[in-house]
Amino acid sequence: MSASSRRVLAATATSALLLCLTTACGSSGSDTSSGGTVTLRYAIWDAVQEPALQKSVAVFEKQHPKIKVKIELNAWAQYWSKLQTQMAGRTAPDVFWDHVAYFPQFSQQNVLADLTPYIKADKLDTSIYDPKLLTGWQQDGKQYGLPKDWDTIAQVYNKTMLEKAGLTQDELGGLSWNTTDGGSFVKALQKLTVDDNGKHPNEPGFDSKHVKQYGLALGSANGQTDWWDAAVQNGCKLQDKAWGKWTINQPSCVKAIQFVQDLRLKYHVAVPASVTNTPNGASLPQVMARKQAAVVWDGSWDLNAYQSSMKGNFGVAELPSGPAGKGTVYNGLSNALYAGSKHPKEAWELVKWLGSQESQKIIVSQGSVWPGIPTLNKDYVAVWQKRGVDVSAFSKEAEGTTVGYPLTTSSATYNVKVQDAFNQVWLGQQSPKAAADSVNEESNAAIK
Amino acid sequence: MSSLSTAVRRTTLYGILAAGALLSVAPYLLTLNGALKRPADLLSTDAWIPAHPATFANFTAVWNQYGMSSFLLHTLSVAVLVTIGQVVFSALAAYALARMEFPGRDWLFWGYLATMMVPQMITLVPLFLMMRELGLVDTYAGLILPTLFGTPYGVFLVRQHFRTIPHDLEAAARIDGANTWTILVRIMLPLSRPILATLAIITFVNTWNNLIWPLIITNSDRTRVITVGISALQGEHVSDLPHIVLAGAALALLPLIAVFLLFQRHIVRSIALTGLK
Amino acid sequence: MIDNISPTKTFPGGDGSRRHPAESPPSSTAGHRRGRGRIRATLEAYLLLAPSLAGLLMFLVAPIVGVVVISFFDWNLMGTPRFVGLANYREMMGDSEVWRAMRNTVYYVLLNIPAQTVLALLLALAMNRKLRGLKVLRVLFVLPWMAMPVALGIVWSWAFDPQRGVVNQFLALFGVDGPAWLSSTGWAMPVLASVNIWQYTGYTMLFLLAGLQAIPESLYEAADLDGAGTVQRFFRITLPLLRPSMFFVLVTNTIGSFQMFDTVYVMTQGGPGGSTDTMNYHIYQQAFQLFRTGYASALAMLLFAVILLVTAVQLLYFRKRTIYDFS
Repeated sequence: MSASSRRVLAATATSALLLCLTTACGSSGSDTSSGGTVTLRYAIWDAVQEPALQKSVAVFEKQHPKIKVKIELNAWAQYWSKLQTQMAGRTAPDVFWDHVAYFPQFSQQNVLADLTPYIKADKLDTSIYDPKLLTGWQQDGKQYGLPKDWDTIAQVYNKTMLEKAGLTQDELGGLSWNTTDGGSFVKALQKLTVDDNGKHPNEPGFDSKHVKQYGLALGSANGQTDWWDAAVQNGCKLQDKAWGKWTINQPSCVKAIQFVQDLRLKYHVAVPASVTNTPNGASLPQVMARKQAAVVWDGSWDLNAYQSSMKGNFGVAELPSGPAGKGTVYNGLSNALYAGSKHPKEAWELVKWLGSQESQKIIVSQGSVWPGIPTLNKDYVAVWQKRGVDVSAFSKEAEGTTVGYPLTTSSATYNVKVQDAFNQVWLGQQSPKAAADSVNEESNAAIK
Repeated sequence: MSSLSTAVRRTTLYGILAAGALLSVAPYLLTLNGALKRPADLLSTDAWIPAHPATFANFTAVWNQYGMSSFLLHTLSVAVLVTIGQVVFSALAAYALARMEFPGRDWLFWGYLATMMVPQMITLVPLFLMMRELGLVDTYAGLILPTLFGTPYGVFLVRQHFRTIPHDLEAAARIDGANTWTILVRIMLPLSRPILATLAIITFVNTWNNLIWPLIITNSDRTRVITVGISALQGEHVSDLPHIVLAGAALALLPLIAVFLLFQRHIVRSIALTGLK
Repeated sequence: MIDNISPTKTFPGGDGSRRHPAESPPSSTAGHRRGRGRIRATLEAYLLLAPSLAGLLMFLVAPIVGVVVISFFDWNLMGTPRFVGLANYREMMGDSEVWRAMRNTVYYVLLNIPAQTVLALLLALAMNRKLRGLKVLRVLFVLPWMAMPVALGIVWSWAFDPQRGVVNQFLALFGVDGPAWLSSTGWAMPVLASVNIWQYTGYTMLFLLAGLQAIPESLYEAADLDGAGTVQRFFRITLPLLRPSMFFVLVTNTIGSFQMFDTVYVMTQGGPGGSTDTMNYHIYQQAFQLFRTGYASALAMLLFAVILLVTAVQLLYFRKRTIYDFS
């Protein structure tokens, strides 16, 4: 081959590569629809729920041979950043888990598809859903998602440890706390907390630096499973009204935050924040698996994580009551349809399936999460009864005083700011008032 | 100086160096050890306690269930393509800058040097927008294009080397009627193998380990690379998967180590060369 | 095992004596200087440069222009951009978090670069001896360079766990109660710096070792005849002749350190109390978590300016004291 022909060849190869990369090869990654088969992307953030979802999706694929579903898992910490980047890039997943916290922002950005026409066309019976859950995904008479589940927070405890301390499930669920001496809740946790020498925090000579077992472990990136619950129990409102301003620096809220800090730093009955703080700390199921704590405050969605490490040696009790009585955070997720989906019809089929009796029955049979369809609640209880765990505390709490996620367009800002500020509160590096003030101010400033 | 004190000093030196070497490999060993532990053991035993009994179940799970096999494949294809592109295009540009005389050459060279200081973060948003408008978000093309044509660093590296090759060789070839392309392919490139290998290795490692760009530009499992795949498994709600993360980490680390040990003789030498040019 | 690093063998000009540009005019096209030959050479040159230049213009220069433009807007990447003039820059000037991030970044660079350079130099000096087994050790020292920060993040977090981490368990052997490293506003940044030092010291050592081996033995022999001690040899011969390598290492490592991202992203996410919130992480957060794209672009300009300034200072410093062959 002559030198010049080689040069021509090289130039051709280069330009072919260029052409390929900018045109044909570029499409290699876009939505595959070969042979009439459509692949839908379904984004979720909870690995604990994935196995159950896979089971449901497998049935869906069998019923719809021309639709494939790819579940995409991103940890909560990255899920929202990723999803918003995807929306900005116009390549968001066809169907995704939506959260109340981000619902206002998404509806403002027109990235959620209105399901109302589909519901009408398919004559879907939406009365099967808990109205509280269904209406949570409505705005201006439009439906932006079908209820996937609901959740509350309760106390998950290690059975052996509780028995050793001479406490029962009912006793644990009937405790109360106050801001002066901690109340019966702190007393019970003192019994459950033991240092290396077998001493309890209320005994002289207790070594707070070398604790073998803590009474309680708390951990939450945004407050849902720790101080929000204490706040409700202290009569605090996180928001003045739906779509209104954040009010987490009200005295009743700050006192509740102070109490949660006291559990760690004053009473020494809760696992130090250096162990549980996000992002580098251990998760609540991990803390329980390591036997570092006897009790955790956690949501029903994590039950399967406890089951896999504790094999039925755990129970669920109601949260304690505070100065203002009982209370917890009530929340639910929806399956939303991306407005920019290239396969809206198929995506709707998936949303419809995930919201159906059949699918939610599959989810419930795996003990995954409480269903969005209330008639299936008893099946969920039955599944866990079979595994030796009484989960009724969650539903009892749902019937009592609850608070939902604040409805605001500034959740992204709140979630970014709250993590670091409250990590510092739990570490004793910042006062509850200062943290609440700064997070409140910055979150309100970001409301659009 | 007595031989005894020499021996003592030598032993001390070896001791310190051995400790340093152990420190260098310890995180790798801890990763592999953890990845071989059963999930329950992983949480209940200290990190340095050997995996006993060892299990490959985590690797099987991460390979089949969590898609690491395809993430690794994506990473490999991207790294190979980018490496080839960078070496080829950097060599071409470097030759022009090192050995040819043309208007604007010095000006261009200083331009290359200046762009070496541009932080990656600065180009992130505009690049993302560009890819969006080209419809290349979440495609291989989007992943690869920004670094395919070489980096200023690569051009600089190869150019500095080309300048050390004696001109006589080239002049002789010219007299024999060789053209630029022949000279480049027949003379310059064969004489530059170490530097090209260096550039290839550095590019491969950097692309393999790159997090930020794939994090933004890829968003489905179809294009996801291993860095993004691993980071997606860390954080709230997926944190009971440390055994999976460790197995994934081991899978991400081992190929590079294997390549390194295989070619260490060349790699160590040629990386060092770059600093001299 | 590894060959001795001796660039002098393979490469004339690798011996520290740099050819001055004026002495070596490119002669390849000498015979084709005039007329068509010259046009042809120019065409050829630009043909060779074309892919690289196109890439540079499209993926580096154009984005820089883009980021300047975006920095004058208020935009979340989705709605309509709103022109705000210099508002982003004004906000930046008064934003204490930005200045904290800048301080953190500089602090990180200061923790990182001197320690890493000194360690690498000591290591290179040790490695430069003719002792058995050093080649094996050298390979081990370079291994961390390839470590993927995301992959090792979990191992690092566990290593620095206050109660069960290997670091504190090791300290406990000596009766020291180690701190909660990553939860401490004082310790978190040094931990991140040590992770980086772990990763790059061996790599840096390679460059310095090559520099050391390029120093002619005859210089040391001459010094020995003059009765110079070890310390004098080091400061009179080794260090001055190592300057080109030092320059390369310092400039590239500093530019790299200013852009640290992965370790923060996986280990601390800027916490606790913003003590590890570096400029790069802060920009990422503003751009891709809060979607304040315009503001993030203004911050990126600030970071760019600082890197340019620092590199310029380094250039000037070394230009006076070394002969580094740039052109």
